[in-house]
Amino acid sequence: MNTIRALVWKEFRQLRNDPISIRLMILPVLFQVLVLGYAVTTEVRNTPVTICDRSETPQSRSLVRAVAGHDLFVFTGMSRTEREVRRKLDAGEVRIGMVIPPDFARAVGEGRAADVELVVDGQDANSSNVAGGYISAIINGWAFKHYTRKLAAMGKSIDDVLPARVRPVILFNPLLKSTWYMVPAMAVLLVTMVTALLTGFSIVRERESGTLEQLLVTPLRSVDLVVGKSIPFMIIGFVELVAILLFAQVWFWIPFRGNYATIFVFAFIYMFSSIGIGVLTSTISRTAHQALFATWFILIFFVLLSGFFLPIENMPRWVQEVTRINPVRYFMTVVREVFLKGTGMRELWREAGAMVGIGVAVYGCALFSFKRRVG
Amino acid sequence: MSRFSLQRLRAVMRKEARHIARDPQTLSIVVLMPVIMMFIYGYALSTDVKDVRIAVEDPSRSTESAAIVRALDAGTLFKVTRVENVVPDPKEYFRKYRDKALVRIPPNLASAVRASGRGAMIQVLIDGSDPNLATIIRNASQAAITDPLLAMLHIEKPEPVKIHMQVLYNPRQESAFYFVPGLMVLILTMMSALLTSIALVREKELGTLSQLVISPLQPFEIVVGKILPYMLVAAIDGALVLLIGRWAFDVRISGSALLLAAVSVLYIFVSLCIGLLISALTHRQLHAMIGAVVVTLMPTVILTGFIFPVSSMPVALQAVSHVLPATYFLRVVRAIILKGVGIDMLWQPVGILVAQGLILITIAVRKFRTAL
Repeated sequence: MNTIRALVWKEFRQLRNDPISIRLMILPVLFQVLVLGYAVTTEVRNTPVTICDRSETPQSRSLVRAVAGHDLFVFTGMSRTEREVRRKLDAGEVRIGMVIPPDFARAVGEGRAADVELVVDGQDANSSNVAGGYISAIINGWAFKHYTRKLAAMGKSIDDVLPARVRPVILFNPLLKSTWYMVPAMAVLLVTMVTALLTGFSIVRERESGTLEQLLVTPLRSVDLVVGKSIPFMIIGFVELVAILLFAQVWFWIPFRGNYATIFVFAFIYMFSSIGIGVLTSTISRTAHQALFATWFILIFFVLLSGFFLPIENMPRWVQEVTRINPVRYFMTVVREVFLKGTGMRELWREAGAMVGIGVAVYGCALFSFKRRVG
Repeated sequence: MSRFSLQRLRAVMRKEARHIARDPQTLSIVVLMPVIMMFIYGYALSTDVKDVRIAVEDPSRSTESAAIVRALDAGTLFKVTRVENVVPDPKEYFRKYRDKALVRIPPNLASAVRASGRGAMIQVLIDGSDPNLATIIRNASQAAITDPLLAMLHIEKPEPVKIHMQVLYNPRQESAFYFVPGLMVLILTMMSALLTSIALVREKELGTLSQLVISPLQPFEIVVGKILPYMLVAAIDGALVLLIGRWAFDVRISGSALLLAAVSVLYIFVSLCIGLLISALTHRQLHAMIGAVVVTLMPTVILTGFIFPVSSMPVALQAVSHVLPATYFLRVVRAIILKGVGIDMLWQPVGILVAQGLILITIAVRKFRTAL
């Protein structure tokens, strides 16, 4: 126990003597949370749109106002012809063009379904889907308002025509803010990066400078060495985690509805995996350069397949199966569940089981390969 | 000292090429990374939402509600996991089962839909944690729930407008069309900025750079000789991405391949200058790597519109996005591959790239001279 404590102290002193690494650990992390919190957004806003009104009637102008005045879209001006709409789309000036055909007003007046054409830039399948959905909703909203007014003039109400209506209620994130979903997840990413990269790097540096050999000729066992290396970075990981969780509440005003103890228990389990990855890559690689690349490489795939920004449910079956061995995935789920929904330990036992299994496997492999490499 | 010599330049290049070839890990990253990334992005990161887990609370147990449940489950968007008689605490329910939505059918559904002048109100509770998914559920729920009722009651759906949507450039809405240009930008950035800065700083860290400097080599020869092999690697990787995109995902270049190649070389040059600058300012590989990741890789993934739409970001971040060379390159690559647009519509982003290249090379050369 004493030997491990001495090792932990040594590690902290080394970190203190390397001010650049310390700075790299703290400043970029806060900066990243800030930038990523705002940038990593799945919301689709300010989509530039142009309208070609070939009907030019009071009805069509009312629809134009409804779309152009909506704050989800940026109205860039009218287009005279459909060709002009197409040219603006080609040049990337707009991403949606709306064309109102000449017989629009007549169709609306006669109660027929009036046609409205939308031309959507589909390069980004997701954004164009969402933006297309929004603009359709605005047009439908306008049409239904028009329609109810006409029904009212005939002395009827919309309930006579529609037997049922649907009222959506959003729970846990009523304003549908992207930051509420992304910032807690950021805690997972940054804890992962800091613990895996720093642990791996400190081992490789020790080996490159030859001090690892010196440690090995002391009475220390290789298990002590790995554990002694892990503890300081685990502590740093916890500090970062707490900092980001607080930052999320103080800066982004995201309500924390869960229990801190739950998150900490899971963070403790999780860091065996992330630190284990760092140890493992550093024992496999020969130089710092390689260790960094290998860690980076593994982390990119783990993050992509963690559901961070694209839900796992969207992936093909076999990829979903592959994500079952991804520790980042489970911790990501846990942090989001606990943070926003206040989910407790009782509902998260499946994640706990998987994370313990992965942690034991990864850390065990790390210990084993470290022993073999240096022993 | 003697003037620039092609022979010495070639010697430095050969040395660097050997560095790359003899380091199996770097080599595997250089070759495998683009391939694996292509397949992961292309197959795994699909943006189509399907089989969203929803539960139904149905105290009415009527033929009407059965029709709704059947229709919801039959569509591709939803998958009905459970039909409950009563859900006392919906929030607890969401915590326990993690369904994304709960459709609450009123007990009097059957009588309400048939009574005139008093429609039934069906509530849909949506877990808003993932705002994107919640929006999709919200937009789809109205029609998904009322359409089967209308069909059952033989009521014609009131449809005051009919919206015809035409999707340009990517009519099948495949995410590969979106990821291939983005990955090309990402991989070119990575190979040129990250690898060169590390390669230069490694020599600094090992002290071999001073050996090179005191050799008859001129600084220009050292830098260019070290850079050119990576430039070649980047170009090969870019071509690799396009080829995989073509064979595996059927993404064709609808514009001019020559123009694409020319702009790519221009972009590789710009990001090499960034890599040079980073290596002039740092002394350790770790710092160079973190610097390159923070200055080039992360912004390329996050701020260029590769995955997240720039127009939704705050103004300050949009400003940053407009400074990044990758933003303009991505715009050009997408325009050429997906839209088939020619240089006449691209002179603006291309011009900005040229200007950025000129500014960066001036700064980089000056910094590098003092660093050497």
